[in-house]
Amino acid sequence: MRIITVKTKARARKIIVYAIYIILLSSIQVSFPDSFSFAGQTADLVFVFVVLSGYFNGFWDGAVVGFICGMVRDAFSPPAIVGLDGDIRVTAFIGAFTLFAAGIIGASFFTRRMHRNIPFSIVAVIFVTFCYKIAGYLLIYGWSTISGNNAGIYDPFTAFVYSFLPQLLLNTVASIPMIALLRFLGPVSFKGNANKDEIIEQDGDGTWLGI
Amino acid sequence: MKKLLKSKWFIALIVLLVLAAFSILSLLPGSPVKKLLQPVQLVTTPAQSLVKKAGDTLSDFWSAITDGIAIREENKALKEQIADLRYHLTQNEEAALRYEELKEALHIKDTFSNYVIYGAAILSRESDEWFSTIRLNAGAADGIVLEEGNSYPVLDVEMNLVGRVIESSETESRVLPLLHEGFAVAGKVNEVNGATFMVAGDAELKRYGLCLVKGIDPEVRIEPGMEIVTSGDGGLFPEGVHIGVIESVDYSNPLDVTATLRPYSQIGKLEDVFIMIPYVEETEPSSTDAG
Repeated sequence: MRIITVKTKARARKIIVYAIYIILLSSIQVSFPDSFSFAGQTADLVFVFVVLSGYFNGFWDGAVVGFICGMVRDAFSPPAIVGLDGDIRVTAFIGAFTLFAAGIIGASFFTRRMHRNIPFSIVAVIFVTFCYKIAGYLLIYGWSTISGNNAGIYDPFTAFVYSFLPQLLLNTVASIPMIALLRFLGPVSFKGNANKDEIIEQDGDGTWLGI
Repeated sequence: MKKLLKSKWFIALIVLLVLAAFSILSLLPGSPVKKLLQPVQLVTTPAQSLVKKAGDTLSDFWSAITDGIAIREENKALKEQIADLRYHLTQNEEAALRYEELKEALHIKDTFSNYVIYGAAILSRESDEWFSTIRLNAGAADGIVLEEGNSYPVLDVEMNLVGRVIESSETESRVLPLLHEGFAVAGKVNEVNGATFMVAGDAELKRYGLCLVKGIDPEVRIEPGMEIVTSGDGGLFPEGVHIGVIESVDYSNPLDVTATLRPYSQIGKLEDVFIMIPYVEETEPSSTDAG
């Protein structure tokens, strides 16, 4: 009975901490994007947060946090794309799709083999950012070709140098304070990660009880 | 089968497929899928406004400390400027009276006289390269009613073009910024019988804060520094709205002369904008309807 109470309390605490992160980071992202921009790209704080949540806290945390962050992104700043009829339209759920995928990829990136260690979490952020940029570029390329609007396409070299690299750099830099935030304000505990992999796999919630 | 249904990867795949289907469905005109996001908007908008206000207050406080000396000097310069402007104002009052007389006589219309202008504050900006629409705090409840296929120009406080409204809900509207690759407007050189062309957003130029000017007649000479305004062609934007200045011109291909344009409006620094809605005179009900 006592165990259930502790678990329920811990779960509620975790949800509250996640909710604060999601609202704060999503709001900062769309309110002051110029404060963390470089070379025409903006550090994606929400994206980094989702990947790290998945990496440190497991599949379900990554998936749920990614999905909710994505919904908020779709509400705040959805992409507008040229439809097949040539009209430009605001889309929905692309953010949810992107961040949900980012969360589950982050949660599955050598997490067991590397025991969710901190340095490798930065590699996870770099890898998932790279996947996001490549997939985004290919999607835009394909869609622009189908819709006949070439204004959205730039050549692969330009994309790599002026879009991928600055974004990778910014997200990597953003991941360092984000790891510190997750470590000191929760909901991640870094105490004895090696032993907690099993718990994360089975339960998905237990690890941050040590905050 | 039970094992498959319980597999986290299977569940993730289903969620991804559903989200992809919803994304595609949201592209259909009048798609009801977007309404699913309304509860999220309802919950997150007040929180985001609060965070924005807190950030702005902090930023203002910091500016007040750091800009103190600069403000004092600017104040001095502005006082001198005010004195100078007052002198010009008295001279211009005479000219304005003369203009009003001539306007009446020649039936000249003000550039924006057929538009109702609504003020709105920017709620949120683009979050990255691809999630790039801007959200305003004015919607259908404030008179921004957008019909399918229609759009309204958005200007900054100095009446420079910022973008256009592409979607509106009850309390909010979304703006496609000038630099977005899907944006296009008919422009012209700001002079009598100035050359006309298209000004459009371009993914490559966006990172430099520039637009692409295309469809330039090779016979026409376009030079850096020329001011570009909307031409009014197409009917969406009124004629004479300031867009920006030509930055460079490329005549290397005579069949495809292009130029780059630096817009006047600095979207990153804007707080308030104005939406221009064509003014429709309400027709009075006829006597038979009334009675």
